[in-house]
Amino acid sequence: MPNWVKSYVRRVERLNWLIGRATIYMIFAMMGVLFYSSVSKTFFVPALWTLEFAQFLMAAYFLLGGAYSIQLNGHVRMDLLYGRWSERTQSKWDVFTSLFLVGYLVLLLYGSLSSTYYALEYGERSYSSWRPYMWPVKVTMTFGIVLMLLQAIAQFFKDLAAARGEPLS
Amino acid sequence: MSYDMIALVMFLGMMGLLLTGQRVFGAIGFVAAMAAFLLWGDGGAELAFSAAMKLMKWYPLMTLPMFIYMGYIMSESRIADDLYEMFHVWMGPVHGGLAIGTIGLMVIISAMNGLSVAGMAIGATIALPELLRRNYDKVMVTGVIQAGSSLGILVPPSVVLVLYGMIARQPVGQLWLAGVFPGLMMAGLFVLYIAVRCRLQPKLGPPLSEAERNIPWSRKFALLRAGILPLLIFFSMTGLFLMGVTSLVESSAVGAATATLAALVKGRLNKQVMEETLRKTLSVTCMFMWIILAALCFGAVFDGLGAVKSIESLFVGRLGLSPWEILIMMQISYIVMGMFLDDTAMLVIVAPLYVPLVGALGFDLIWYGVLYTITCQIAYMTPPFGYNLFLMRAMAPPEISLGDIYRSIIPFVLVMCLGLGITMAFPDLALWLPNWHYGK
Repeated sequence: MPNWVKSYVRRVERLNWLIGRATIYMIFAMMGVLFYSSVSKTFFVPALWTLEFAQFLMAAYFLLGGAYSIQLNGHVRMDLLYGRWSERTQSKWDVFTSLFLVGYLVLLLYGSLSSTYYALEYGERSYSSWRPYMWPVKVTMTFGIVLMLLQAIAQFFKDLAAARGEPLS
Repeated sequence: MSYDMIALVMFLGMMGLLLTGQRVFGAIGFVAAMAAFLLWGDGGAELAFSAAMKLMKWYPLMTLPMFIYMGYIMSESRIADDLYEMFHVWMGPVHGGLAIGTIGLMVIISAMNGLSVAGMAIGATIALPELLRRNYDKVMVTGVIQAGSSLGILVPPSVVLVLYGMIARQPVGQLWLAGVFPGLMMAGLFVLYIAVRCRLQPKLGPPLSEAERNIPWSRKFALLRAGILPLLIFFSMTGLFLMGVTSLVESSAVGAATATLAALVKGRLNKQVMEETLRKTLSVTCMFMWIILAALCFGAVFDGLGAVKSIESLFVGRLGLSPWEILIMMQISYIVMGMFLDDTAMLVIVAPLYVPLVGALGFDLIWYGVLYTITCQIAYMTPPFGYNLFLMRAMAPPEISLGDIYRSIIPFVLVMCLGLGITMAFPDLALWLPNWHYGK
């Protein structure tokens, strides 16, 4: 594979690894917010912001962590046929079907960009008593989808290299 | 092309793409997003992301990472070890007693967690090696652990019932309570099957040897203390939720915190346990969330195509079935689809098509939720596609082959079908407890 491909794959994997390693700790943030919510509800005045803020954290958690979860090989595949193929054959099919994955993520990104643009332009707020601006969470989600797309493309290169019998790393 | 044809082509396209072995979420998401784009152009292209916003607002789904986290804390820190030992010592002397004890262990773990992952992990790491060492039949043991851990989604708390509750717009509290007796009955049927089978073929599950049975009573009673911890976790989570102290999602967070605290108090919480737990929690949560994200988009396209009406006209009009026949057909179609399709995706795509019809036919949607969950349990275990199968393959020791895993589930699936039939025939089994608690 050409050097720029190797360098691309290395950099994207490194970036997503770093972000993923930070994201795994967000579960504590969610837990903390919900815990605070139940305590404040039981003993003081219920907080307005907790539920919605926890939703934002959840969306960020699985979108920012998505790329890292691909690195961890955490996504199930239907292995009725796939499981019986040799690694080389698997890679060949993956090269082809990675394009579908990339296609899905591109459409997802298209939607998120348009939604984020709207939120920024009109200062969109959520319909709740807390009324937070929507752009911070939408920007975060879009960023997560971009990372996922970068990772999917890196995955395509890795599969291509493996299919040609010269796996990267 | 008629809308029905488009829906059918989408469905077949998804199946085809799934068979190539691409990640499930990618295959489903691509078919859905592409179909939306081709059908509705520019506006349709935004459907994929609208699903993300909808998913974000499906607030009860926050229980998912909490339960996953909790399950891994329990299995990685091995706080369930003495729980296993308790069953081991008390049930060991009976024919097949260790297998029966494992079912008991699974029921207790199910009461602490809403997924089958925790039960699988604990069963495969703690119970499986112990049972194999004592000459239990490996095929039966494998089946026991898969069937037992599948109770995780029926006995409250249950993530599948949370997801169903959102789709069918039914209160989660009632759904959870409705799962209690069917869950216990299912466990009872498993125990009955194991006991009878081991009585007839004693070599499948020999009683413990004399030396191992010789345990002083004081020690035996001391071991019962292991039961305190699950009670505590159960109370802090499901208990507080049913009493109305905490909301659903809050209680899952309280449960997760309690489990962490329990591991800390027992001195089992170290850096490695935390690392494994956090990494696996992210990985499994992302897997589920991305599949649901893609499936929601798929469901939205189906909705736009009016697939609910098509299903209704197929069952009621063209086939002219009676309500009960429709219900049975639905369950059978779930089980068959569950073999080949991803179980979570099936819930998100197929349930919204069936639930309105079930309601229109006059069936109780709480009761149907329980039937649905039992079908899901079966789908989790039936090859070629099922989460429990995946987990089992990943965790089983080398002497257990794929063939063993496949063969092991056959009797248990039959028992579960029996349980499904009983719950269908006697709706009160599911409905009595929620009606009593909520005073209907």
